[in-house]
Amino acid sequence: MRPRTALLILLAVWIATMILTPLVGSQSISLGEILRGDPTAASIFWQLRLPRILLALLGGAALATSGLGFQTLFRNPLAEPYTLGVSSGAALGAVIALRFEGGQFLGLSLVGLASFAGALGATALIVGLALRRQGIETSTLLLAGVAVSLSCSAIILFLQYLADSTQTFRMVRWMMGGLSVVGYTEVLWLLPFVLGGSAALFVLRWELNLLLTGEELAASRGVDLARLRRYVLLATSLMIGALVAVAGPIGFVGLIVPHMLRRFVGHDHLYLVPACILGGGAFLTLCDAAGRTILSPAELPVGILTALLGGPFFLWLLVWRRRE
Amino acid sequence: MTPPVLLSAHGLEWRSGTRTILGPLDLEVVRGECLALVGPNGAGKTTLLRCLTGLLRPTRGEIAYAGRSFAKLSRREIARRIAYVPQIRPARVPLKVEEIVLLGRYPHLTAFQLAPRAEDFAAVEEALRVVGIEELRGRPVDELSGGERQAVFIAAALAQEAELLVLDEPTLHLDARHQRDLASLLLRLKTDTDHTVVLATHDLNLASLLGDRLLALSGGKVLATGAPAEILRPEVLDRLFRARFEIVRGGERPVTILDLGA
Repeated sequence: MRPRTALLILLAVWIATMILTPLVGSQSISLGEILRGDPTAASIFWQLRLPRILLALLGGAALATSGLGFQTLFRNPLAEPYTLGVSSGAALGAVIALRFEGGQFLGLSLVGLASFAGALGATALIVGLALRRQGIETSTLLLAGVAVSLSCSAIILFLQYLADSTQTFRMVRWMMGGLSVVGYTEVLWLLPFVLGGSAALFVLRWELNLLLTGEELAASRGVDLARLRRYVLLATSLMIGALVAVAGPIGFVGLIVPHMLRRFVGHDHLYLVPACILGGGAFLTLCDAAGRTILSPAELPVGILTALLGGPFFLWLLVWRRRE
Repeated sequence: MTPPVLLSAHGLEWRSGTRTILGPLDLEVVRGECLALVGPNGAGKTTLLRCLTGLLRPTRGEIAYAGRSFAKLSRREIARRIAYVPQIRPARVPLKVEEIVLLGRYPHLTAFQLAPRAEDFAAVEEALRVVGIEELRGRPVDELSGGERQAVFIAAALAQEAELLVLDEPTLHLDARHQRDLASLLLRLKTDTDHTVVLATHDLNLASLLGDRLLALSGGKVLATGAPAEILRPEVLDRLFRARFEIVRGGERPVTILDLGA
């Protein structure tokens, strides 16, 4: 399949997802009802479903493009925000805020802002490591991410141990990741980060393509590797931090989506970045729609669903790569 | 009239911590010549190449391209003048041949250019033609043989349209036939195009075939430099490698073999 054809198909899927998924959930509504102006259906559509779908489309794009950026930067197929400690840094921030009863600030919860800070903190730690030693091996950076992840988890467990049962429940619930309590404020908050971050990755597509041929060759062609690393990590961690602030940690989308898309679109970032924006958005939106209906009338948080899909996918990737 | 100096290094030195890996040494590459670096493992050949391509900043000394100091050239400006084919590459490069060759155009692209221009595609075509791999253009590079893959990366370097071509161990890991094919490709490049070439190799016969001048590097310093016939002598090679070589064919471009039993 030609990359352009694949992109067009993805665009069609993306649009279909945006139109159809708002109709499903604990109460299904139809397009006809909304067009006729049925007040209940309209209110469900405009107040509950649409902001949630928009958030899922943006969030999925952020997760998939970040995963793509990490995988190319570290030249490791297993790199994504979840495995690099960005998400666990965010979780730690949120848990600290929950432990000390966060309030509101500028219309956003302090929990959200603390998780945003946590994501950036974890990235800063990894970038600091990368810049400290010039030419540090990317596998070392990956392991550093794992170490950051484990340390954050340990501190989270410690804080949960200290917290009372209500706080613990809220912490656990937050860490499941979900898109349930969402309005347009969150969508508007996330929008500039996702637009800016994915546009930055698209602008850097030549450099990212060159990285596929090796750091030495990329540098000899005039790529400033240190600067490229900084830009990619900054763009991705801002996107992830902003998303985690409103939706909690959602894992494995950044792993699954880029890998599936490479099979259809190829490895050229000219097509792969837009494909991840569309494909990631559609994927997370569909997962969320499934989460709304599987246990209906109850809702399954989308973070649990993607993690359930992601674990086996991770294993499959390991075994499949070994065979090649 | 002496031909102009293209690349010059003065008092070049590179240290890792307190250990001196390279230099101090002086070096000049004359426009149009092919300079071959030979020497044992750890002699500093790759380090020297990485300094000469601007990838490593020397601890001391200065390198200049056509009289302009590297310090005053940006990475891209260097890349428009010097194309490098490094020895180490990722085991897998998930791109097609023409995608890789097109990436050679990177130093010529401007920051906000959406797509490559006609001249970029023309340079890619020319590079594919010169290297003779036009029919491989649509193939994933991972499916190619080692020799073909090396030819692809040489084509990418040619698409860069730099005057100086720097090659690190171009025939490494290639079997006899592919070594011969690659040698004839490089010889063709040398005669048909007006590139200046610096290459590092363990293959003394390749150095002899291509090099207008050989530079014997040992312990980071220049042991000797001169025409192939001056360097490829048993006494020089013995000092350089501490191994015995025999000259099986003399002349301007001698052919040597290593006597493993001596």
